[in-house]
Amino acid sequence: MIKHDIVVVGGGLAGMRAAVEAAEGGADVAVVSKMHPVRSHSGAAQGGINAALGNREDDSTENHAFDCVKGSDYLGDQDAIEAMAEDAPRQIVWLEHRGCIFSRMPDGRIAQRPFGGAGSARTCYSADVTGLVILHTLWEQLERFGVKVYEEYFATALCVEDGMGAGVVAYNMRSGELELVSAKATIFATGGLGRVYAKTTNSYASTADGMAIAYRAGIPLMDMEFVQFHPTSLKENGVLLSEAARGEGAYLLNKDGERFMFKYAPNKGELASRDVVSRAEWTEILEGRGVDGCVFLDLRHLGREKILERLPQIRELALDATGKDAIDTPIPILPGMHYAMGGIETDKFGATRIPGVYAAGECACVSVHGANRLGGNSLLETIVFGARSARHAIAYIKGLGDVRVSERTLKSEQDRIDGILARSGGERHPAVRKRMNNVLSDNVFIFRDDAGLKKAVEGLREVREAAKSMTVMDKSKTFNTDLTGFLETEFLIDIAQCIAAGALARTESRGAQARTDFPERDDEKWLVHSLFHNTGADPRLDFTRKVTFTKWQPTVRTY
Amino acid sequence: MERDAGALRPAVKASDGLDGDSAKDQVEARVVETARFVTLRINRGEANDVSGRWEDYEVPLEPGMVVLDAVLHVQAHSANDLAVRWNCKAAKCGSCSAEVGGMPKLMCKTRLEEFDCSKPILVQPLQTFPRIRDLVTDVSWNYRVNRKITPFRPRTDREWRFYQRDVDRSQEMRKCIECFLCQDVCHVIRYQTQEKPQYFGPRFYVRALGLDAHPMDSANRLRLLQVEGGIGLCNVTKCCTEVCPAGIQITDNAIIPAKERIVDAYQDPLRRLFRKVTGTT
Repeated sequence: MIKHDIVVVGGGLAGMRAAVEAAEGGADVAVVSKMHPVRSHSGAAQGGINAALGNREDDSTENHAFDCVKGSDYLGDQDAIEAMAEDAPRQIVWLEHRGCIFSRMPDGRIAQRPFGGAGSARTCYSADVTGLVILHTLWEQLERFGVKVYEEYFATALCVEDGMGAGVVAYNMRSGELELVSAKATIFATGGLGRVYAKTTNSYASTADGMAIAYRAGIPLMDMEFVQFHPTSLKENGVLLSEAARGEGAYLLNKDGERFMFKYAPNKGELASRDVVSRAEWTEILEGRGVDGCVFLDLRHLGREKILERLPQIRELALDATGKDAIDTPIPILPGMHYAMGGIETDKFGATRIPGVYAAGECACVSVHGANRLGGNSLLETIVFGARSARHAIAYIKGLGDVRVSERTLKSEQDRIDGILARSGGERHPAVRKRMNNVLSDNVFIFRDDAGLKKAVEGLREVREAAKSMTVMDKSKTFNTDLTGFLETEFLIDIAQCIAAGALARTESRGAQARTDFPERDDEKWLVHSLFHNTGADPRLDFTRKVTFTKWQPTVRTY
Repeated sequence: MERDAGALRPAVKASDGLDGDSAKDQVEARVVETARFVTLRINRGEANDVSGRWEDYEVPLEPGMVVLDAVLHVQAHSANDLAVRWNCKAAKCGSCSAEVGGMPKLMCKTRLEEFDCSKPILVQPLQTFPRIRDLVTDVSWNYRVNRKITPFRPRTDREWRFYQRDVDRSQEMRKCIECFLCQDVCHVIRYQTQEKPQYFGPRFYVRALGLDAHPMDSANRLRLLQVEGGIGLCNVTKCCTEVCPAGIQITDNAIIPAKERIVDAYQDPLRRLFRKVTGTT
């Protein structure tokens, strides 16, 4: 049996930031991850990380917080947002002093670029590989502290003993054995849920593992209906082209070569918030002003030099996928599923309703993004709340005696996995997953309505039924991705049901939730978070958690 | 990316070795027939099986398809137990390193159109590192090397203000995704079958130089690269640069400058004398 004071599940930015904070605080901490930490999807983040340093224009943490509140369409909890904005400059310095190398201003300070929905240029970056540079910086710190990493350990369940978190059960992908990872505090940092959709900018590993594990253990999920569609993903493979392109001045064009964004966002144009831009693009496409279901991202006027200096990766990704060079050709793009605003319900310290269980990063819902996240805030959230949850966890375990170590969850998980491997004859799991993907992509997309959402809820019930008899063909022990893929599909089905149920229940349009049958925001009724409780079938919803306000009352949101 | 399962045709009989002539003929005959399929010849095997066995799989060819799409198609339809690592599909995570057509490649960045699709396309695991299963290799030797490199050590004697031209080199080195294709292709590592040599390999010269090039770093890693890192063993064939999917000029911008600085610092007779007299290293 493995035993540590704190176990972090997930080795991306949030997980490693939490682990480094815990290690700096002297705690015995370990990371459990289904892949080596530098393989994490955080490394694909291109654009940058927000902090009100005010290096390029006047700025303040209050301005940053207000932009988040407005971006969230007033669903974000303002106390958590203020905490994030205030901590941001400190965290940038923390990263810089550990060797994270940010791009520079001519006067030698950290450079900042404009991003969507932001009142001033506050996104710090490292060329267009910001996520990768931070990821390797944290990995170096993790190694410096000698933090134990259980690499290629796939977490399957949370242990709860006497009402307290007691670690996780994880499947060792090298040996094929289940192992108990006992801990006084558990921090989930497992990232997003993108693979619930048929097309996504997310990596294959973004399968909502932590969300589903927490949900099954009785922790509610929150605001799951809010799914962000990023305005610029490549048609060919769904790969993301960073918002940095528009931050540096790229245009969005329809088939007539018109910069259509100013019809939808007269002031901000291409730099309106993501929900606004994606809806505008989709409207252009639906109304026949697209080409092959796409509009265009045009970089040409930026010139070769600027593209090569500031946006080399964007050019490269487009070249790889389309064979077209962005220096002299507009790139066909369309909105792609990108980010989950929702996740495991936590307070502003990352703590969940079960003592000793925390969540940070995309898998958590604090909520700092509310109904729509601003670009540059996801990296910030991982760093700020990774650190905060670890600090809180350290305080929690102080004075706490040993938590009960019991093998009962290990035994029940062993029975479950043995049962899965013993099945035969049913459908293979990729087929079931594909049906789930299609139900969601067809019915819970950018624009939603009652009929489609009811179809989704019904379709997902059928999918859940089919999942009860789906099978794994590979019965072997070493690196059995057929089995881990199966477990991921089961996780995703739980999550898909929450997304559809939330979208159906919320009879308003707010941020990323756009109901054609309820086109207005309804502040009378819906300034509440959606909470989802596991019942083993359809989720049970409750709307008892009100949005926290500090300074800003809801007003009309325009860009 | 899911493909049309109905279009799948039965796999060609597994053939041994690189020159399965009869299998090749069969494939060619079929290509004339439909021209819509490609044969993937994948080297499979259990832990530490060095030579493995070659198995052929047919995959419906689609425009823009990359090798990873084809391998995942095989896994989804014809060989559910095929072990492979993959994640981001955007050349950012470094998971899907393999040797395709004899060259170290990221499978997600390598289009099938780069090859003659009328012939089988060979896919095998990285040959420099021991196999765990099929296309999955144990690259942990690299992580052990990584630990030997002095981490970033910030200076305390000046303000954190420096210019873009000071960070360009360091940022170039920080584009590395640790796919280890350069480690795989490097002949100094590749042909040491038992104990790996006193040698860090291109990836870790890049890391060390990226740290050294940081304007606020105060550590000296040259001695380490020379003695424990064995950088002198590199004879600058530039194979690492050629296979780097991040486009890092490994040889010109990391290895050669490091070699030059080592020569300047430790082999210049005047400096040697100076060190001897002053007792510094």
